[in-house]
Amino acid sequence: MSDNILKVKNLKKTYNNKLAVDGISFEVKKGEIFGILGPNGAGKTTTLEMIETLRPIDSGTITVDGIDVQKYPDAVKQIIGVQPQTAAFQDKQKLSEIIELFASAYGEKVDAKKFLDEVNLGEKINSYAEDLSGGQRQRLSIATAIVHNPRVFFLDEPTTGLDPQARRNLWDLIKEIRDKGVTVIMTTHYLDEAEILCDRVAIMDKGKIIALDSPANLIKTLLKKGFKKEQKVEQANLDDVFIDLTGKGLRD
Amino acid sequence: MDKAHIPKVSFVRKLKTVATFTRLNTKRFFRDRLAIFFGILFPLIFLFVFGSISKGGGKLSFKVAILNDSKSSYSTTFINQLKSSKLYKIDSTVSNLNQAENKMSKSQLDGVIYLNKDFGVFEKGNNYPSGQVEVIYTQNQVTSGQTIASVLNQSLSGINSKFVTTKTPFVVTQNQLNRKSLTTFDYTFAGLLGFSIIGIGIFGPVNVFPELKKQGILRRLHTTPIAVWQYFLSTMFSQSIIGIVSIAIQFIIAILVFNLKVVGNYLEIITFLVLSIFMVLGIGLAIGGWAKNDRQAAPLSNIIVFPMLFLSGTFFPRFQMPQYLQAVTNYLPLTPVIDGMRLLTTEGKHLTQIMPEIGLILIWMVVIYFIAFKVFRWE
Repeated sequence: MSDNILKVKNLKKTYNNKLAVDGISFEVKKGEIFGILGPNGAGKTTTLEMIETLRPIDSGTITVDGIDVQKYPDAVKQIIGVQPQTAAFQDKQKLSEIIELFASAYGEKVDAKKFLDEVNLGEKINSYAEDLSGGQRQRLSIATAIVHNPRVFFLDEPTTGLDPQARRNLWDLIKEIRDKGVTVIMTTHYLDEAEILCDRVAIMDKGKIIALDSPANLIKTLLKKGFKKEQKVEQANLDDVFIDLTGKGLRD
Repeated sequence: MDKAHIPKVSFVRKLKTVATFTRLNTKRFFRDRLAIFFGILFPLIFLFVFGSISKGGGKLSFKVAILNDSKSSYSTTFINQLKSSKLYKIDSTVSNLNQAENKMSKSQLDGVIYLNKDFGVFEKGNNYPSGQVEVIYTQNQVTSGQTIASVLNQSLSGINSKFVTTKTPFVVTQNQLNRKSLTTFDYTFAGLLGFSIIGIGIFGPVNVFPELKKQGILRRLHTTPIAVWQYFLSTMFSQSIIGIVSIAIQFIIAILVFNLKVVGNYLEIITFLVLSIFMVLGIGLAIGGWAKNDRQAAPLSNIIVFPMLFLSGTFFPRFQMPQYLQAVTNYLPLTPVIDGMRLLTTEGKHLTQIMPEIGLILIWMVVIYFIAFKVFRWE
């Protein structure tokens, strides 16, 4: 009996006679940042949506903190936080009200200022969501997904479209959330992001998990197979140059 | 797996969620200028247009020209009498028959009252004046022409009896009942309220929901434990608040500008209004909740709304329709709303007296919400 917080067994999903998710099984440990990687159409988002109770499961089982997703979808929703790919909010609604709204959707009442401060939006408490920049909106989206202190937090490609500063800021935020004891499960297209953030990653392709380990171990395995990359031993890359020149300070 | 581990939200907390959503979304509405325009100002434009058209309806008067060829002093007295009567609107720009005929052919005049040169002359041996009043009208004005003639006839017989006292065997006496009848505006106003309820209940959600789906806002909400009934209920409450504000403004304008006499009880009117908005909103929730996008929502809402607008008495009263059409349109969802509104507002009925209307609304409500819950999609 392991105390893994997420257990997925033989999960299958078919769309139009095509297996989108082809009998995958994996478990996520409590308190880790778990990445799901893979090319477009690999089945990442479908897998995530089935775990989040948003999509019916064809076959297989999922439990989140021991709760069966198919049997108790509402209970699962209560203990997970979901940040969708695009962060959209109704206009003409103040940030404080948006936080209040989402908290109440979970049946909670919270101090909006405290939550906005945590994601660096305290000053914007009286602004409307439509006046925020992309990075700010993404942070607001995260705040609305953790208002109810979830046990597991799902992010779907959280840094797509953000500038390097905003990306780094979001990485820090995700780590802070993990440090509070929340398990984080995320999908991403950026492999550098996965390498920096994730404790373990699952690589999916054509509906199957083709590798699952820590980024370091995956690299080690590859090297053992005799993989050689054309080596240019430089202690920095263009990313480092960019950050060195423009600084780490958030721009919005 | 022990059940204690499974989180459960109490029913009271779920209702609090509904209250919070209602409060925040109502606030949001009053910040949105476009929504205010369509929800509040748009119905007012209709009120002014239709109110002005139907104003003065019910008051009977004729546009007439008076041509006088008589030089007698009595003819002047007689014309002054006509002028002081509210029955006639006298067009004094007409001075000959040609002009009058021209105006009558354009329906700008209902008829001509012609006094020939012998009118009001004292005939030999008489101590009172006599003469003929001629009413001239065209083929299309038979009704108004005959009415003018018979009204003139009546006033002349009143005059005659003063000059020649004879005992008349049969007389008609008039007895005005001390009670008002409905004016055209009373019907128009109830219809316009029906129109605003459609605006708030159907056009509101039908415009908003596909947009919320497109942006993924509803989908985002679906990741939280909020249930469809909670979302529906909060929408019902906030649209009712908006509806009460909008319709209160219409009442104020109708009372101040169009002399609407409200004889009903306001508390009963509001109760009925909220019930009506709940029911009609169900149609909007069903269409908006089902439609994936504007292309699905717009045609469906038009197919449902336009027949209702014309058949339920929104723009013209249903009693003008042929019997068979009335029989069918009796059961449309909007008909009991408009009828009930009129019965409560201007006919002074109480809720207990309009049970057939309330019953029909409740039946529709069950049917509509059953469908709305079935077809609702979060994305």
